[in-house]
Amino acid sequence: MLFNSIDFGIFLPLVFMLYWFIPNKKLKLQNILIVIASYIFYGWWDWRFLLLIFFSTIVDYSIGIRLNTTHKPINRKMLLWASIFVNIGFLCFFKYYNFFLDNFITAFSFLGTQIKPNSLNIILPVGISFYTFQSLSYTIDIYRKKLNPTKDFIAFLAFVSFFPQLVAGPIERASDLLPQFHKKRFFDYSKATDGMRQILWGLFKKIVIADNCAEFANSIFNNSANMNGSTLFLGALFFTFQIYGDFSGYSDIAIGTSRLFGFNLKRNFAFPYFSRDIAEFWRRWHISLSSWFRDYLYIPLGGSRGRSLTKIRNTFIIFIVSGFWHGANWTFIVWGALNAIYFLPLLLTNNNRKHLEIVAHGKYLPTLKELFLILITFSLTVFSWIFFRAENIEHAINYITGIFSLSFFTVPKLAGMDRAITILILIGIFILIEWLGREDQYAIEYLGRNWHRSIRWSFYSVIIFIIGMFMPSVESPFIYFQF
Amino acid sequence: MKKFVLNTLLFVLFSGLFYFIALFFWGKYTPSMLKRNINYKICSYGHIHSRLSEVKKKKDIDILFLGSSHTYRGFDTRIFSKNNLQCFNLGSSSQTPIQTETLLKRYLKRLKPKTIIYEVYPITFMIDGVESSLDIIANDKNDLFSLEMVFKNNNIKTYNTFLYALFRDIFNLNNSYSEPKTRGNDTYISGGFVEKEISYFKPTPFEKETIEINKSQLKSFSKIVSLIKKNKIDLILVYAPIPPSNYKRFTNNEYFDNTMESYSEYYNFNKLMSLNDSLHFFDAHHLNQKGVELFNNKLIKILNERKVK
Repeated sequence: MLFNSIDFGIFLPLVFMLYWFIPNKKLKLQNILIVIASYIFYGWWDWRFLLLIFFSTIVDYSIGIRLNTTHKPINRKMLLWASIFVNIGFLCFFKYYNFFLDNFITAFSFLGTQIKPNSLNIILPVGISFYTFQSLSYTIDIYRKKLNPTKDFIAFLAFVSFFPQLVAGPIERASDLLPQFHKKRFFDYSKATDGMRQILWGLFKKIVIADNCAEFANSIFNNSANMNGSTLFLGALFFTFQIYGDFSGYSDIAIGTSRLFGFNLKRNFAFPYFSRDIAEFWRRWHISLSSWFRDYLYIPLGGSRGRSLTKIRNTFIIFIVSGFWHGANWTFIVWGALNAIYFLPLLLTNNNRKHLEIVAHGKYLPTLKELFLILITFSLTVFSWIFFRAENIEHAINYITGIFSLSFFTVPKLAGMDRAITILILIGIFILIEWLGREDQYAIEYLGRNWHRSIRWSFYSVIIFIIGMFMPSVESPFIYFQF
Repeated sequence: MKKFVLNTLLFVLFSGLFYFIALFFWGKYTPSMLKRNINYKICSYGHIHSRLSEVKKKKDIDILFLGSSHTYRGFDTRIFSKNNLQCFNLGSSSQTPIQTETLLKRYLKRLKPKTIIYEVYPITFMIDGVESSLDIIANDKNDLFSLEMVFKNNNIKTYNTFLYALFRDIFNLNNSYSEPKTRGNDTYISGGFVEKEISYFKPTPFEKETIEINKSQLKSFSKIVSLIKKNKIDLILVYAPIPPSNYKRFTNNEYFDNTMESYSEYYNFNKLMSLNDSLHFFDAHHLNQKGVELFNNKLIKILNERKVK
């Protein structure tokens, strides 16, 4: 079920009403309802996926309890590896089987040996990378004795399958989300209205910004061989806003929906395109994944301690793994490596924690230096997104070569140029609103809070109207569902 | 909680009203590049406005023609009149069963046809029908049948255009429109037919295509057939001639024929007649006037034979 679908528009109010009208707001019943709703939500794509998530849940639930009662280090380690094996095993099979097979075939044919391919027609279960990581963090935290296992199976089922963030995050830690399923939840008016506001902003980002940018980004990337440099640059720019609007829009809807049910989820985006260096960008982009890799991969590897070579190795590992997490394609690996290259100079010169606060804090405008740094960081990001979006490495290289040609200085040529200009204007308005709200959790969190109700409601109605005027005829799925 | 539900309902009302009013100003005063989701084209292609204006003055006819542009360019009402058959051609561009159902529900009682000749073309069973709905919304008065059609299409363009059309209907903003009888090479003939200045088709190769009937279109089609049968009206399904090169691109014509035959009496004129791509058609879809005459005479012959039987 897509957030931007009529199905969800009916599903959400129904579940919301049932949830809060459960007699005496009984916790157990509310959790059962969340599990049922989440399984319906997930099964809407394909009911077979439910078996997989249910199996993962049972495995991690059982291992969690066993880890707590087992004291022998070797047995504990074996239990942890069992959890890792099952979770990562599923992920590898569904996501990477054909990738590894294809690459083996290519490698052997390079050596002169022909292997008959036996690739499988595997359907990638939606959001498998997200709930796998979330579930895995539970067993790792119990193994590290940072968390006690839950004995409430329903609460654990709800934790793994919680529908607002099930298919594209934020990837929650058990220590943050699981206790919320154990505590009685009370309806909070301001939290609920805040949730609604965040959902509205998320829908705007997804439908108006991402989906409209997607139309042009797809047409330019799919026909890049026939485009001039300036058009290709425009295509990369459109994709840059598509992926931000799409993914941060999803996160806003997920967080907002959770708030309607009395839950708090982790912030996933913090205005990353206003970053002054790549280190800041990665503290603001897909925060829940970056922090997952930091805590469960980077720090165990030694983090930024030790010799320079260790730092370089760890940085490359974390960025390449992060790239590979996104998809079974060399383009994602190169995208990760490229970001590692951007990041390393900052790390090696101890400048990676220079910009911790949002840019121009407490001011209306940035300084010229800040603006320059933002533009440089943004340009580097646009450049790396080309690898992320391209079909393969060759496509990416040709695309970049096309941009850095003399045709960059010609006028962009694109079917529907007037519409492209309209979308660019909308992007401009979007950046302005994001800038104004950059010190808050999301752009319109406090925008208009002190206005008269009729003006404030008119402002939200304008957003709804713009959505109605610019939404594409066909619902398009969120990009991160494929990861 | 009560406060939240109440305020949410109030906001829904407020924003609904806001949307409705804003839509009117947006539709009326903004340039077309900003109106992607309000596709309101009055007097658009195919003389739909003239046809829908004329149908309101007609009643008690012998034959009603329904279907796509193959209908309003393929059934010349003058030829049928010569054979003492009072007809009306209610075809519209890319008319799918969803729109046919709407038009039929709206005009059946008034027209009271003895026979309905429903032109069926595979593509109209495969598409969503949004463009054709927009055509009808902009060129006819809107009612509950339009609303039903809009819900069936379930597309933001049809929702917005319908709301905008309602505004125009309420304030009678379309009264001043009148469509010229001749537009480009097309001339509107009383009775709903559109005659094209004679020209000839130069065939180009077609990509192969498999007919896959859309479930919601088939559902509407079944309803149309039931409605007609319920009113005890004679129903004839007709697959009008298209250029043979176009006809052959469909890999499963038999499947379509079998489906249609299961609903009512059906004639596939692509099998019954052998027409020539260049001589009898002016483009990849439509008969030229020579082709129309041959096709209509053949159809009248079949109708006469049925009468004798």
